Amino acid sequence: MVDLDYLKMSKPQKFVHNLGRFFKALPGRIGGGFVRLGRAIGGCFKGLALAIADLFTTFKNGDWKTRLSYLVMGSGSLARGQWGRGLLFFLFQTVFNLYMVNFGMAYLSKLGTLGTVATEKVGRKTVYGDNSFLILLYGVLTLFFVVAFLYTWYANIKQNKISQQIEASGRKLKSTKDDLQSLMDSQFHKTLLALPTLGVFVFTILPIFFMILVAFTNFDYNHQPPSKLFTWVGFENFKQLLSSGSASYGDTFRQVLFWTLVWAFFATFLNYFLGMFVAIMINKKGIKLKKVWRTILVMTIAIPQFVSLLYVSKMFAADGLINTYLMKWHWISQPIPFWTDPGWARFTIILINIWIGIPYLMLIATGILMNIPADLYESARIDGANAMQMYGKITLPYMLFVTGPYLLTSFTGNINNFNVIFLLSQGKPMGLAGNAGHTDLLITWLYRMTVSDTNYKIAAVIGIMVFVVLAVINLVVYNLIPSVKNEEDFQ
Amino acid sequence: MKKLLTLVLALALVLSLCSAFAEGFSGELKVWVPDAAVDFTAEQVEAFKAANPEYADMTVNIEPVGEGDAAGKVITDVDAAADVFNFAQDQLARMVAAGALEEVEPGNAEIVKAENDAGSVAAATMGETLYAYPLTSDNGYFLYYDSSVVTDPSTLEGILADCEAAGKSFYMEINSGWYQTAFFFGTGCTLTYDSDDEGNLVACNADYASENGLKALKSMIKLAKSPAFQNGSSISNATNVAAIVDGTWDSEAAKELFGDNYAAAKLPTVDGYQLSGFGGFKLLGVKPQTDEDKLAACDALAAWLTSGDVQLARYEALGWGPSNLEAQKSEAVQADAALSALGEQLAFTIPQGQYPGDYWSLATGLGDRIISKEFDDADDETLMGVLTEFQDTCASYVG
Amino acid sequence: MTNNANVAAGQQKLRSKKGHERRINGTIYTVLVVMSIVWLVPFVFLVLQSFRSYKLEKGGMVDYLLPKHFSLDNYAFLFEGSNFFSWLGKALIVGLIVAAVSAVLIHACGKLLDKGEESRGRRIALIGGSLLVGFVALTALTAAMQGFVLAGSWVKVLLSLLLFVLAGWIMARVYLKQDSKLLRSIPGYVVEDRHEGLKKFVAMLAEFLVLGIIVQFILAPMTMSQYVRWYINTLTIALFTAVLQTAIVLSVSYALSRLRFKGRKLIMNAVLVLGLFPGFLTMITLYFLLKQLGLTQAGAVPGLILIYCASSGMGYYISKGFFDTIPKSLDESARIDGATRFQVFLKIIMPLAKPIVIYTILMAFMAPWGDYVFASYVAFGHQNGYNVAVGLYNWVNTNDFQNYFTRFCAGGVLVAVPITALFLALQKYYVEGVTGGAVKG
Repeated sequence: MVDLDYLKMSKPQKFVHNLGRFFKALPGRIGGGFVRLGRAIGGCFKGLALAIADLFTTFKNGDWKTRLSYLVMGSGSLARGQWGRGLLFFLFQTVFNLYMVNFGMAYLSKLGTLGTVATEKVGRKTVYGDNSFLILLYGVLTLFFVVAFLYTWYANIKQNKISQQIEASGRKLKSTKDDLQSLMDSQFHKTLLALPTLGVFVFTILPIFFMILVAFTNFDYNHQPPSKLFTWVGFENFKQLLSSGSASYGDTFRQVLFWTLVWAFFATFLNYFLGMFVAIMINKKGIKLKKVWRTILVMTIAIPQFVSLLYVSKMFAADGLINTYLMKWHWISQPIPFWTDPGWARFTIILINIWIGIPYLMLIATGILMNIPADLYESARIDGANAMQMYGKITLPYMLFVTGPYLLTSFTGNINNFNVIFLLSQGKPMGLAGNAGHTDLLITWLYRMTVSDTNYKIAAVIGIMVFVVLAVINLVVYNLIPSVKNEEDFQ
Repeated sequence: MKKLLTLVLALALVLSLCSAFAEGFSGELKVWVPDAAVDFTAEQVEAFKAANPEYADMTVNIEPVGEGDAAGKVITDVDAAADVFNFAQDQLARMVAAGALEEVEPGNAEIVKAENDAGSVAAATMGETLYAYPLTSDNGYFLYYDSSVVTDPSTLEGILADCEAAGKSFYMEINSGWYQTAFFFGTGCTLTYDSDDEGNLVACNADYASENGLKALKSMIKLAKSPAFQNGSSISNATNVAAIVDGTWDSEAAKELFGDNYAAAKLPTVDGYQLSGFGGFKLLGVKPQTDEDKLAACDALAAWLTSGDVQLARYEALGWGPSNLEAQKSEAVQADAALSALGEQLAFTIPQGQYPGDYWSLATGLGDRIISKEFDDADDETLMGVLTEFQDTCASYVG
Repeated sequence: MTNNANVAAGQQKLRSKKGHERRINGTIYTVLVVMSIVWLVPFVFLVLQSFRSYKLEKGGMVDYLLPKHFSLDNYAFLFEGSNFFSWLGKALIVGLIVAAVSAVLIHACGKLLDKGEESRGRRIALIGGSLLVGFVALTALTAAMQGFVLAGSWVKVLLSLLLFVLAGWIMARVYLKQDSKLLRSIPGYVVEDRHEGLKKFVAMLAEFLVLGIIVQFILAPMTMSQYVRWYINTLTIALFTAVLQTAIVLSVSYALSRLRFKGRKLIMNAVLVLGLFPGFLTMITLYFLLKQLGLTQAGAVPGLILIYCASSGMGYYISKGFFDTIPKSLDESARIDGATRFQVFLKIIMPLAKPIVIYTILMAFMAPWGDYVFASYVAFGHQNGYNVAVGLYNWVNTNDFQNYFTRFCAGGVLVAVPITALFLALQKYYVEGVTGGAVKG
C-alpha cells in the first residue's frame, strides 16, 4: 500500500490495517525470530570456541605469572603488584574450592536422581534420608556458582593477558588505588549494580530457575521432603495441566485463563476510560475544590488494601450491610448472591476494582491532560469543534500515545493482580476441578496450589503458563504500539 | 591395666546411660494450639512439668496456630513446625501421607485406646496404626437457637416459619462439604473413601445420584428459597440470627448472644427425615523427631494434655467436649446444653473419615449454586444430572 | 433599534451559553458528590464499627450501621497488656528535654562565637563539643529516669550514645551551613525570617523527639501487646525497606539511565523477561532460602526486609523514566569540570531528583503494610513475627477468632490513619512520580 493511502485512513482503519499487517507478517517474524535465535546460539558457541582458543594461545604466549594464574587465580596480579585484584581473585577461588569440596559436590552429584536414600525409622527415632528439595536447591545454586567461577577464572586470565601486554609496551599498570578510584568513576556502574544484581540472582533468578525445574518433577503432597523423595518425571505435569480428562486440569485451566484475560481487560480498560473521564471532569474549567475531589478519591490508594478490601468484601456478603439495608428498605426480598453466584461475583469484583483503580488513572490522566498544549484546543474551538469531537481528536489520541507503555504494564499487572481477588473473594464461588473457583485468576490458583494443596509441581507449571501468556501478549503489543519501544525518544 | 580401663569405660557407659534415662529432656518444645486454648495449655504445661520433674527444665513455647492452618504448615515444612499440635481429624490421611505424623508411642496407644471413645480412636487411626491422641469428641454440629423466637426446634419448616415471622435469620453453611452432609446422609446417602496404611485414598463409595440424593438436594433448594435462610456457620459473624447450625467451639459466643434465651438442640427434621451429618474429633499430633529423648518428651506431654483430667479441665475452661470416657461421664459435661444436644445428634451422625482436599471445594461449588438460586426451577432430570456429575467427580479423586 | 435587538440577541445567546455551562457544571458536581460519597462511605463505616462498644454489643458483624453505644473498647483491647502510653510519654519527655537542652547549648555556642573570631574549626569544636557533653549527660539522665541498672547493659548505653553523637555531629554540620546570625538567635531562629526560623526550629524539635523515642526504644523496651508488636514489626520493616529499597532502586535506575556500558541492554531485557514470571511462583523457594539463613519465624522481620529489598532493583522502571528527563548536558558540563561519575550522581542528579526520591521512599514505605502473603508464609505460625496485615487478616478471616470484627476495624483504622496522612501530605510527589516516570519511560 502506498504511504499516502495510509495517511488518508481514519484511526480505526489504521489500527485494523496495522493489525492485519502484523498477523500477515507474523509467520515471517516467528521464522525470523527462530533464525535470530539460531544465530544467537551459534554466536554463543562461536564465542565460546574463540574464548577457549584464546585460553590456549594466552597460555602459550604467557609469562610465568600468567601461566600460574591458570592454576591459582589472582597469583599473576599479585606478582605484578596489583594486590587488590589479586587478593579478590584468590579469595574467590579459595571460597569456591572450599564450597565445592565441603558442600557443592555432594549436591551436584545427586542432581540426576534427586536423592536415593529413603527416610527410615531406627527404633522410634526418625533418620531422615536425602532431602530432594535441598538437593535440587543447592544443586542449582552450585551450578550457578560453577558458571560464575568459570567466568571469573576466564576474566582472571584475560586480565593477565592485558597486563602482560601493557607491561610489554612499557606502560604502567593500574594500581589498586586506581582500581578503587575507577569504581567511583569510569566503572561506576559496577559499584551501583553489584549489590542489586547479586540480590536479583539469589532471590529472583535462582528461585525461578528452581521452580521451572520443579515443573518437571513429582514434588507434591505425596512426595514431600524431608520424609519422602521426589524425582524427575519429564513433561507429565504439563500434560496433566493442559489435557482434558478426569484427572487432568485442562478444562479448569482454560476457564481460569479465560476469566483471567476477561478480568485483566476490564480491570485495565474500564478503569482507564473511567479514570480519564473523572480527570476531565475535575480539571474542567470552572469546577471548584479540585484538590478536595482529588484527595477524596485518592483515599483508596492511601489506605492499605488489606483493610479496605477486606472490609468491603464483608459489606457485600449475603448478610452484610449492603444486602441487609436493601432488604430493610424492601428493595429486594432475597439477598443478592454477590459472592456465591459466579456471574455476580465476577461483576462485583470488577465493580469494586473500579473503586480502587480509578484514582490511579485519574492522577496519571491529570498530569497528562495538563501537558496537552492549550493552543491545540483553542484552534479546534475556532474550527467549531464541540467537546466530544475535541475529546476524540485531541485528548484521546494524545493520552493513548503517551500511556501506551502504561497500559501494557497495567494489563500485565492485572493478570497478576493477586490482592483484589484474594482479599475480596478468595476465588470463590468454588466449583472447578483442581480446587479452583470461578473468580480465580491463574495467580490465585497458583497460590492455592502452593499454600493449601502443597501441589508444587502443578503450581510450577501454572507459573510457567502465566509467563508464556504474558510473553505472548507483550510480544504482540510491542510490535503493534510504536511508543512502547523507543526508549530514547523522550531523552 | 587394660582390664581396669575396660571396666572404667564400661562403668562410664552404664552411668551415662542411667543419667540419660533420668535426665528426661531439657531442650525446647514447640506447641501449636488455637488462640483460645493458649492460656489453658500454658497452665497445663506447667502442671505437667510439676508432675514430671525430669521435664522441669524443658522450655515449651506455645504459639496460637489454628487447627486448619496447623496441618498445612506441618506438611509444608515439618522441620520448622511445632512438635505437638492440634488438628482436626480430616487432615489425618494427608499428614500421614506426607510423613508429618509420628505414631503414638505403643505404651500410650494402649491407654489411649482404652480411655477414649471408640469413634475418636478410629478417627486417629490409619490402617492399624494409631497416629494421634484424641483431644475432643465435639467436632460435630447441632442447632443453637433463640428460644424467644423459635418455639419448636424439631422441624426445619417450623424453625424457618418462626424466623420469617420474627424477621430473623436461620444460618446454615450449606456451601460447605461438612454441613452439606446433614442433608445427604440424612436421606441415607453415603460418601466415604477407603484409605490404605500410607494415607492414600484407594476407593470411593458414593451414591448421591439416587432418589435419596435427589430428595436431599431438593430440601436444600427449598431451604435456600426461604427468606429467613442465610449461609454461614460463625455465630459472631452472623447478623440478626435466631437459629444457627454450629458447633461447641462457638458455645460461649452463642450464650453471650442469646443471653437468657440461649438454647441448643439436635438438628431438626426436614421433609420428614432427620438431618444427619458428620461427627468429628480434634486430635493432638506429634511430628517425627530425630532425637529419641525429645520424642519421649513430646509423647509424655501429648499424653498429659489429652488425659481424662486435663480434658475435663479443658471442658471447664473452654467448653470443648471431651473424648475421654471418664470425662464424658462427669456431671458438668452431662449437664451442658450444647454437649447434650451434640450427644443427641450423635445418634444420627456418621463418623467423619478421610476426604480428598478437592471434595471440599467441589461441595462448596454445589452449595454456591444452590444459594445463588441456579436450581430453583430445575426439573428432576437436571438435578439428577448435577448429582451424577458430583458423584463422578468425587470418584475421580481416587488414585 | 436593530442594533439594540442584535445586542439583546447576543446577550441572550451568551446567557444561554452560560446556562448551558452551568448545567454541565451542575451535572459534574452531582457526579463528583455521588462519587465522593461512594468513595468515603466504606471508610466511614469502618470507623463507626471500630467505635462500637464491645462490652454491650459484642465484636461480631451486625446488620445495623450506627453503633448503639460508642466506646473505645476495641482500641483499648489493641493496647491491652502493653505499657505503650506511659512508655511513649516517657519517650516524649526525654525527647523534649534533649531538645530544650540542645537548643540552649547551641544558643550558648552562638554567644561564644559572637565574641571570638569566626573560624570553621573553632565553630565545629565548640558546637560539637558542647553537643557531645550535653548528650552524654542526657543519656545518663534517661537511664536514671528509666531506673535501669547500668551493669550488663553497657552495649545499649554505648549504642544510644553513639546515636546521640552521630545526630549531634550531623546537626552541627547542618547548622554551620546556616548564616551564623541565625545560629546566634536560637532558640527561635526568628531574627531574619520569622516563618523560616520557626519552621526550622519545629523541624529540630521533631528530630529530637524522634531521637528520644529511638533512644527510649533501645534503653527501655516496652512491654508489648500482640497488636503493638505487629505494628512495630511492620514499622521496622517499612522503615528499613524504605531506605534500602530507595538506595537500590536509585542506583539501578541511575546506572541504566545515565551510564552507557556493556551489558546494559542485556540487563534491561533480562529484567523485562524475569518480570513476566508471577511473583508467588517462587514463594516456597524463597521461604526455604530464608530458612537456611535463619530468617523465618523468629527472624521474620529481617527476613522480610531482605525479601522486599533483594530484588527491588527490578523496579527501576519509573525512576529511570524520571532520570531520562533530566538533561544530559548537566552531567557533561560537570564531567568537564573534573567531577567523577560518583560526584555527578551525588551532587548534581540527586538534588534534582527529589520528587522521584520521595516517590520511591513513599512507595517502599507503604508496600510492607499491605503484604499478607509473604509475611504470613515467612512468619510460619510464629506470632511475634507477624506484621499487622497477617495479624488482622487472621482476626477477621479465620474461625479461631470470634467477635474480633470490630477489633479488626479498630486495628485497621490505626494502620490507615498514619499511612493516609503520610500519603496525602506527599501526594504531590506521588503524582509527579506516576505521571513523570510511569508514562514517559
